[in-house]
This record gives sequence, C-alpha cells and structure tokens, in this order.
Amino acid sequence: MIASLQPHKSRWRQTRKTLPVLSLTWLTLVVLISILTPALPLEPIDSVDPEQAISAPSIHHWFGTDVLGRDLFSRILRGSRISLACALAGAATALLVGVAWGLIAGGGSRQRDNVMMRFVDLVDSIPLVFLVILVASVVRGSVIEESGGGLGVFFVILGFVYWTPMARVVRGETISLANREWALAATALGSSPQRILRKEILPNLVPTILVTLTLIIPRVLLFEAFLSFLGLGVQSPHVSWGTLARDAFEVLNPVNTAWWLVLYPSLVLAMSLLALNIIGDALRSDLDPKDATK
Amino acid sequence: MTPFLVRRFASATLTIWAVFTLSFFIIRSAPGGPFDLEREPAPDIKAAIEARYDLDLPLWKQYVQQGWLWLTLDPGPSLRQPDHDVATILSQGFPVSVLLGGWALVIGILAGMALGILSAWRPGSWIDRSVVLFASLGISLPMYLIAGLLIMTFSFHWNLLPPAGWTSLASLVLPMTCLALAPAAQVARLTRSGLLETSSEDFARTAKAKGRSPLSILILHCLRPASIPVASTLGPTAAALLTGSLVVEQIFAIPGIGMHFVQGAMNRDYPLVLGVVLLYTVLLQVLTLIGDLLIMWLDPRGSDMR
Repeated sequence: MIASLQPHKSRWRQTRKTLPVLSLTWLTLVVLISILTPALPLEPIDSVDPEQAISAPSIHHWFGTDVLGRDLFSRILRGSRISLACALAGAATALLVGVAWGLIAGGGSRQRDNVMMRFVDLVDSIPLVFLVILVASVVRGSVIEESGGGLGVFFVILGFVYWTPMARVVRGETISLANREWALAATALGSSPQRILRKEILPNLVPTILVTLTLIIPRVLLFEAFLSFLGLGVQSPHVSWGTLARDAFEVLNPVNTAWWLVLYPSLVLAMSLLALNIIGDALRSDLDPKDATK
Repeated sequence: MTPFLVRRFASATLTIWAVFTLSFFIIRSAPGGPFDLEREPAPDIKAAIEARYDLDLPLWKQYVQQGWLWLTLDPGPSLRQPDHDVATILSQGFPVSVLLGGWALVIGILAGMALGILSAWRPGSWIDRSVVLFASLGISLPMYLIAGLLIMTFSFHWNLLPPAGWTSLASLVLPMTCLALAPAAQVARLTRSGLLETSSEDFARTAKAKGRSPLSILILHCLRPASIPVASTLGPTAAALLTGSLVVEQIFAIPGIGMHFVQGAMNRDYPLVLGVVLLYTVLLQVLTLIGDLLIMWLDPRGSDMR
C-alpha cells in the first residue's frame, strides 16, 4: 500500500535488488567456470602458434591471441583460477588472523585490549603494501619459489595486508555485544568468559564478519593483479588476470594496437570487482539497518 | 595542541624506525645479493667487493651502520649504480613523483568534492545516480585498464596526447587522470554521504528557514562538517595513490622513484630500496598528520579529546 504511493522509491528498490542478483550470477559463473576449466575443451594455454600471433578476436579465437599466438580466451579462464584462489586465500588469512585478534582483544581485559589495539594502530601506520612488495621480491627466485611453494606464500602474505580492518571491526562489535543483556545473563548463569565468546558472541558476529569480508575480497583480488602487473606476483608459467595485463602492456604500440589483450583480461577483473562491491553494498544495507538509508 | 604534536611526532618516529627495521631484515633475508652476475666472479674478488660496501660485517653491525647513515641523511652509493649516490637518485626522482602524485591528489579531492556536492544537491536525480555509478566504477576498475583505454583512445586513435614519457605538460595529462580517478571516486562517495547526513541536522534546517538556497546551505553550512571523513581518509588515500603510482610510472615510463623501488627490490639494491620505503613512510606520516590537523580545524570540538 505504502509502496504504491511511492512509485519512484519502489523502482529504486527494484534496481537495488536486480543489480546484486546480476552480480551474484556473474560471480557464480566465473567461479564455476574457473573450477571446470581443466575439464573444458579449451586450447591449452601454452600452445604456441607463431602464424596466429597477435590476431584479433575471431571465431577460432574468441578473445584473439597474444604475442606468441596463444589463445587469450583459454588463458583468461585459466588465469581466473589463480586470481580467485589468491582472493580466497588472502581473505581467509585476513579472516583467521583478524577475527582471532579482534575477539581476543575485545573479549579480554581493558589492558590487553589497549596493548593489542595499539599494535593494530602501529601496523596500520606502516605502508604494509611496500613491505609486502619487498617480501614478494624476496620470495621470487628463492628456494620456496623453486619448490613450488611460492604461490602459497604469496597467498598468505596477501592476507596480512588486510587483517587490520577485520580486527578493528570484530573487536568493536565484540565489546558492544559483550554488554548486551543476553551476554550478561550468560555470565549470571555461570558461563566462563571463553564460553560466552565462543557460544554467544561469535555466532552473533557472523553478519559483521560477512560484510567486512565482502570489502576485503575485492581488495585482495585487485592487489594480486597489481603485484602481478608489476612482475612481483604470479610468475610464468602460471597465469593470472594480472600477468595477462602485464603481457598486454609489453606489446602495446600505436602501429598495431592489440586492444583485445588490454581490454578482455582487465574487463573480466573489473566486472568481478564491481560485482563483489555491489554485493557488499547490498549485504551491508540489508544486514546493518543503521546504514539502510544510504 | 603541543602535547598532541609531541605524541604524534613520537609515534611517527616509532613507525619510521619499525619500517626501517622490518624492511632492512626482509630485504637482507633475500637469497642472492646485489653482485650476482651471470658468471660467478672469483670468490676473492666477490669478497673484496662485498668488503668495499661493508656487506661482510655481521648483520646487526650493518643494521646499526645503515641506521646511522640514514640518520645523517647520507646513505652512500647505490649498489647497482655505483657511480650514483642513493641520495642523488632519490632527489632526482622525488620531485617527479611528488609533482605527479601531489597534483593527482589535489585534483582528485577537488573533483570528488564537487561531484559529491552536485549529487547531494539533487539526491535521486540522474546527476546523483551517475555520480554514484562513477564512484563505484572508480574504485572497481583496475588502474591499468583505465590507463590502457586512455592511451588507446587519446594517444593511438586520436593522436592527441603522448602515450609515455616525461617531457611536456601534455605528457602529464594521462598519468594524472589515471591516478586522480580513484581518489575522486572515493572522495565523491564520502562527501555525498556526509552531506546527506548533515543536511538533515538542525543547523541546516535553521539555515533553510532563514531562506538560504539549498546549494548555499550545502556549501556554506554542511560542507565543513561533511568533509571530516574526507580529511580522516587522507592518509589511506595517499597510500593508495603511492601504490598506484608504481603502476602508472611503469606504464607511462615516468622517471619517478616508484621505478627505482620495483627495480631495486628485484636487483637487491639494499640502500636504494630502503631509501624509497623510508621516503614513502615519511611522506605518509606527514600526510596523515596534515589530515589530523585538518580534522581539528574542521571540527574544533574534538581538539581537546586528543
């Protein structure tokens, strides 16, 4: 009834529902395809064909070919596996470290909270990105890299850049939840502080953690692309969306502009980032009623 | 005010020291050294070169020595470019990076605030919705996509602007646009939500009752409190800009210090890398401090609390 009196607003609500659904569809598609890539009848990512070098998109090569004549479409699909794995692993690191840190700080004594949050302040004032670049350049070419563990180390260090926002949010929410009536009631019933943290507070943190995760995942995804673009991240023969963009800029010239090499890998990344951001916004306004007006 | 500044100065010093220590030990734990060549030199020659740069001392001694050198602002020669002092290399690249990044920051913030005001002036209109769209695109598009699109249209297709280099004013336009886009989007977002929030407060209603026009209420009354979030993200925005400048300097072949950082880290040029990291850290500390002072000026109520 009220909705019909406000046609403009209801249409706005409608678009606000459509966009997240579209975004979710896109992401599901990307994830599914990246999982299925090895089973799909694609050209191998390293099948070199000098005859077909830098050819524009066609029936045979949907997204064109790169400087060695490799099929860009299958390279993008293959690259999505590492890019998404980086995002997930980085987010998982941030999740584990951040949630643990925030819970312990927020659920303990005043003094412990102070010390732990001072540390977070210190970490935040450090340009961590540059230290991560240093670590990435150290890992590069080292024993770890040669034994195949380089990628794993890379995943984990990505997460360490983004654990502080998670720790801050979790800590703040823990403190506010710990003072609610039901938490006090649990104390009155004789539950130990650890039990209250685990059984009462942690489940109620889930929405907050989810919203923060949707903010962190796109940042990790972008950061992987950034590092790989600089040549410090994923290394050949592995392929990620970032290394594909790097390859594109190496052959970019005004005479024979290979626009597809620049456009397609970046566009897939950009659409995924946009989708993640839209879902994050939608989740935030649904899970956090204070924010619903925005 | 003074105790606040003293405390801030102390914490900035602590941060800079922490960054120095961390980066020193990270880069020194890297395998390989600055004098690794394709063909391994004779062991005594290598030892002599390393002794020349004190690389044969115990690590903690080198750490103290490097720390002292940096305190006196005389870090000595670069290991990979022995004819050049680290200080000289940095002082050549620094003005270029500051010119690029500084203008990008200023333009980004001004454009973002203008867009934020426009969209809060007519909430729900097409202007508002395009600003919101711009804001979410601006933080989602990877910088190299924007750079690639700009180069392909303005340099290759229309031949208007140079695609790379650092020679004329025209060569500044494309890299600066790339860098300014993300801060503009971020600031537009913050300004818009800040303005929408403050415009429902009592003082805004009073100003409306006085007969002020909506736009002048926004600019004269609401903008000041609404720009507090913008000032408080000055540090992080600048940090994002610095990381972005690494990409932009590489794409547009700009001789700033970002190039030295990436190259130096790969070549194990220890003093050069330390220099760039320290320079970035100091820069970020200064910008964060400026942001804090701005907040105190924008919102005098909070100045006693610190």
